[in-house]
Amino acid sequence: MFDKSKIGHSFPPFTTEVHRNKIRELALAIGDANPIYHSREAAQAADYGDVPLFPTAPTMFSFWSDLQRNGELAKIGVNVTRILHGEEEYEYLAPIHPDDVLTGVTTIVDGKSRRGKNGSSMDIITTETRYTNQHNQPVLNARTTLVVRE
Amino acid sequence: MTTNTQASQKLYYEDVQVGDELPKLVKSPITHLQLVRYAGASGDFNPLHTDPKVGEMIGTGGIIAHGMLIMGFVGQLLSDYAGPTTLRKFGVRFKGMTRIDDVITCTGTVTEKYEADGEARIAGKVQAVDQNGDVKVAGTFIAALPRRS
Repeated sequence: MFDKSKIGHSFPPFTTEVHRNKIRELALAIGDANPIYHSREAAQAADYGDVPLFPTAPTMFSFWSDLQRNGELAKIGVNVTRILHGEEEYEYLAPIHPDDVLTGVTTIVDGKSRRGKNGSSMDIITTETRYTNQHNQPVLNARTTLVVRE
Repeated sequence: MTTNTQASQKLYYEDVQVGDELPKLVKSPITHLQLVRYAGASGDFNPLHTDPKVGEMIGTGGIIAHGMLIMGFVGQLLSDYAGPTTLRKFGVRFKGMTRIDDVITCTGTVTEKYEADGEARIAGKVQAVDQNGDVKVAGTFIAALPRRS
């Protein structure tokens, strides 16, 4: 059962640096051949100042840099071996460029328990990570909904 | 690698109408190698996406693709259509498991045109389905487009 008193609880901040090569690696793994993701020169040729952020690149900030995330979830009683990804949403507030250094703070913003027809229960937990850049400017909010089976 | 239509021209607000469909994106069949590669790129090393033994053990019937890979395909759809720097919001709900050899098709429709925060914006819905038409992810987006004038 999800402990509702944890809504509003934030995890310690983490930092992540934006790398061109990681954006290229993600685009290639997805199979997006658009050259703007592959080199600064190609991006500039297409009127971008630098390699732009691939739309789902924030997933890398979380997995590669928020290394404490599962430990923090476990601390508030979430069985991290039983997590399914329910929803993901990004709100892009300002441009994010290669070499930016972002600070992310993850907060539990919602949580509830649901009982299934067969009597099993699941927890539905939503986290929001708010990212600011090296100028303290808010640049991105990432909301993740996790489904935790009993 | 990709069977999308040609790289998009710059999209202007005036050229978009409510009800417009985004150029469809049909991806190559998903391979085990792609999932390994995506794991490395994204940093999501949950073995249920890469190790067939783990897939069998937890009862998913083999390995399943990262949901975020499928969201990435939809991200490519949006990037091809409106460009990556126009996006203001992009969210999806994961509705079904995707397996190796599945062929994912991404589609979208413009549902709204409006002005907000001094920007000309469009909103729309997007989804990704497999070769049987089963929905894998469904979601929405908001993009801010330049004006011709």
